[in-house]
Amino acid sequence: MATTFKTLRSKDVVSTRTMLHEAIPMTGTIVSGTYNDLNIKNYSHGIFQSVFDYPYLSSSANHIFDMSAGYASGSALSGSGFLQNAKKVNIYNELSQILVGFDETGSIRNFDEDGDLTGGTKLREVFFLNFTRLLQKDEIKKGSFSVEFGTSASVGNPFATRVTLSDISGATAYKVNSPAGEYGILYANNSVGTTLKNAYTVTQTKAGLIFYQAGIAVITASLFSGSYNKAAAGTYVGGELGLLSQSISGVQLSPYANTTVANSPALSLVSGNNDINDVLSASAISGTCDVLRHRLYNIQFNNTTELNSTIYFCRANHNEFNYSSNPTYLSASKLVVKNNSQDTPVSYATSVGMYSPDNELLAVAKLSEPMKKDPSNEFTIRVRLDY
Amino acid sequence: MGFLQNDGDIILDAVLTDTGRMRLAKGDGSFRISKFALGDDEINYGLYDKNNTSGSAYYDLTVLQTPVLEAFTNNTSTMKSKLISINRNDILYLPVLELYTTAGKGSAKNANGAFNVAVDKNTIDTLVTPGTGILNGFKPNDDVSRVEVHQGLDTTELSNEEPLARDLVEVAYIVEIDNRFGAIFPPPGGVSNTVLETDTQSPAATPSFIDDDNIASYYFTLRNTNGFVANLGGTEDSSIAGPRGTKLGFRIMSSLELRTSDYLFTQLGTLAASALSNDAGTNLTASNYRFIDTTVRVTGVNTGYRIDIPLRFVRSV
Repeated sequence: MATTFKTLRSKDVVSTRTMLHEAIPMTGTIVSGTYNDLNIKNYSHGIFQSVFDYPYLSSSANHIFDMSAGYASGSALSGSGFLQNAKKVNIYNELSQILVGFDETGSIRNFDEDGDLTGGTKLREVFFLNFTRLLQKDEIKKGSFSVEFGTSASVGNPFATRVTLSDISGATAYKVNSPAGEYGILYANNSVGTTLKNAYTVTQTKAGLIFYQAGIAVITASLFSGSYNKAAAGTYVGGELGLLSQSISGVQLSPYANTTVANSPALSLVSGNNDINDVLSASAISGTCDVLRHRLYNIQFNNTTELNSTIYFCRANHNEFNYSSNPTYLSASKLVVKNNSQDTPVSYATSVGMYSPDNELLAVAKLSEPMKKDPSNEFTIRVRLDY
Repeated sequence: MGFLQNDGDIILDAVLTDTGRMRLAKGDGSFRISKFALGDDEINYGLYDKNNTSGSAYYDLTVLQTPVLEAFTNNTSTMKSKLISINRNDILYLPVLELYTTAGKGSAKNANGAFNVAVDKNTIDTLVTPGTGILNGFKPNDDVSRVEVHQGLDTTELSNEEPLARDLVEVAYIVEIDNRFGAIFPPPGGVSNTVLETDTQSPAATPSFIDDDNIASYYFTLRNTNGFVANLGGTEDSSIAGPRGTKLGFRIMSSLELRTSDYLFTQLGTLAASALSNDAGTNLTASNYRFIDTTVRVTGVNTGYRIDIPLRFVRSV
């Protein structure tokens, strides 16, 4: 019996899973400079700020990440008198309940510096970098994340000294006690200059967390403050102890001091001359995010796409698919590729159709060039469908 | 569609068709790949130079250089011609499908080159008698006009009294038609696969499935005794000159939408510029009817050969 279909047996079908990785480099000039902040979108609710890779009013723009800042209700910065105090607490609580979860009493946990939720240092004043699915895909590859910040006390040259945060041990020493998947610890190290207070070993200074599946980096605000927790005169309230040898003052942190960004909001500084905690407590979230953006030198990570594939091995044996139903194959019903019946038949495949039991074409694969089929050869075409 | 790059290793460009995606989205298990076929749509075997004096290496030089298009996602736009498996190598002739259009036998095309389907009572009444190549789409049972496809070796080098090799006889056909326009109806003497005792007229056949583009597929086999597929006798009048296999006959029933509304005719159709002639003379004059041109496709399930038959749905205005 002539036939055009060949049934796929169970041995001809196999399912596989492949992890695809792409390198995602982001230079700091994209988030502060190149587009004169036209790619930065602030919302009337003021809870977060969105960063695009092009002025966001253009249809070519892609949303790449969001930024926000907040502190725990138990932070020394938390106080009803500060600007957007409730929103800063709320955003901290929202992300901590998703990323760290609740304790046995049902209370929202704080972010923990070393991932040991039973105790230790908590991260109570933090910045959030939420990467979009467009960039992170299924997850950030463990051990690939790094973000570099300028830590110079010079407002005009913030990148004169820099610190890199990276999940150095992420590939093997990631944590699994988060309700939002796996996460790693971000360790701070001097990349240009030596502004860190303690950086004798690469894993000495813990400065944040990176949640791989959620695609969220939590960065401690103490990265920009000094070693002292100064109770200065005035209303300065103080946050966690800083990681730097010397604090960067609020004025030095202000991105607007030496620039002319249109409509830029002035930073509100309570005492006007202290550190990031002052900015965090007294400024709006958008203004705080502006500070971080203008200190962001670059971000680098590899994303991961989990490809589930089904591979169909389409086997053409020597005695199969040697004839064609192509109208040009016949002239007055006679094969044009043969002179007599003893000649071997030949055909040329250019496509593979994958059919349902009721003969409906569900998938099609095209060969880049015709493949000769005659009784002297056999081949297996490997058709992979990714989901 | 662009061409696939063919200056390096052979690559495979695989996509789900629109129907495949639709079935996947349904999530009802209907997305199940159970078989495959190989196609050669781009190949022109006329370029195969089997008498090239330089030797056999030159026979298919041009064929192998054929550029191949990227995959179409439309399920009806690709895999039009398939490779066939026959477990012997000495075959010199392969069967084809041909329209049986001998005048006076009820299956000829109209002078306008298509099978015309009068879709409603008004159009039928205007025509009085449908005539050659005009099918009664309103009440198909009232008329013997039909579409008939014959299968066999269309060659005079073999006698039509020779038996066609059993492995070349087509025993199953797939008929595809745009479900918005019409349905497949049994030929004279046939019965639909959905007939009920209470039916006053045999209804149209039930399609195997209707795809995302509204193309309905009907599956008819020789085994089913519903009259659609029958053996084609060696001495029977036929368009096949040589050994014969089977024949497929059917009529067309117009869809309810075409009968009751001129919406599709105004959207997709054309106001006629010439008269539609029947055997008794002209009954539908120019500008007095609209028509939609389409095709009904017949494919041999086993031999893979297929033909597109021109159809014209006609409605008087």
